[in-house]
Amino acid sequence: MENSDIELFLHAQGMTPQAVTASPEDTLRKVLLRAAIIPEGKDEVLVFVGECEEALKEASDIEDGVDEHEPIDIDLTLDVLEIHRHRHVHYHRCHHIAVEVNFGGKTKRHEFSPATTIAVVTQWARKKFPNLDPAAAAEYVLQIAGTATQPRPSEHLGEVVSAGTCSIGFDLVKEITPQG
Amino acid sequence: MSSPEQRLFEADVQAAPYRIGAAKGQWGLAGAEALPENAAWPKVYLWMAAAPRTNAPDRFYVALDLTGYRTAPPTGAFWDPVKRKALALDKWPKGRAGSRFAMVFRTSGFTGAGSAFYHPYDRVALIGHARWSTEQPHLVWSDSHTIVDYLEEFQTLLTSGDYLGI
Repeated sequence: MENSDIELFLHAQGMTPQAVTASPEDTLRKVLLRAAIIPEGKDEVLVFVGECEEALKEASDIEDGVDEHEPIDIDLTLDVLEIHRHRHVHYHRCHHIAVEVNFGGKTKRHEFSPATTIAVVTQWARKKFPNLDPAAAAEYVLQIAGTATQPRPSEHLGEVVSAGTCSIGFDLVKEITPQG
Repeated sequence: MSSPEQRLFEADVQAAPYRIGAAKGQWGLAGAEALPENAAWPKVYLWMAAAPRTNAPDRFYVALDLTGYRTAPPTGAFWDPVKRKALALDKWPKGRAGSRFAMVFRTSGFTGAGSAFYHPYDRVALIGHARWSTEQPHLVWSDSHTIVDYLEEFQTLLTSGDYLGI
């Protein structure tokens, strides 16, 4: 690794993130091919840089919002893409992940960038339900609907959704306090 | 020569999930100045960043016993990096009364109080709490869990609104 090399984190559906290093002069395509994230010859890929937090700026009364996080041109170099600042690169087949969150008999929806962390979706959801007690909001977490799975806050939505789908449902549940 | 469990831990702190949190300043390995003279596997010393609170540190250190990593859950508690011994109980982070935070970081009333966290990820706290595995199945430690699950669980508490300071 040379001094100027950049450490970046590669994310994709159903995959544990990979940490790789690359030269600022490398194209992102070269990095993704080397890490076997994309197959050779595949031209139509959706790749996002950075972790998207747009939903946190959304007013609480907005319904069915959509992130504007756009995929980038992977033939640009890491330097041009400012990967040293963004650090995270997410490859996904979906432009957006349609999320439904259920709480107290109500459902809120948003189309998130695949490169959105569960922490951001959780923060967004806690603000969206006026009947959620703000004093106890910190104890509410996202659980994949119909399961007991609670993804970690650092996981990306695009990693968590099932293969072949661009949507996911969560229940906003109170984390159990250890007792006894 | 290091043991397989130590090598597994060392591989986990080189892997992306750990490095992502480290790059964000969420956690890290304690520096040599914070370690006791006899520091050696299976004891490891890490820190977790905390939300800013008046007169409180910006990070808390933990001393963990990782015997049996990853098959067995960790056990351990807060560490004083200056005195290089267990953190005095009056310096432990405090939480909103009645909150999950306050229960997890309680310092009395269970096996291991003061030297373990009251949480299913702590193998000492698990003693006598067979119900936890059915009440909190998502927090049952398995060999697919890593030190990142542990750090993320407790670091999330230390940056939550229920954390009040020390």
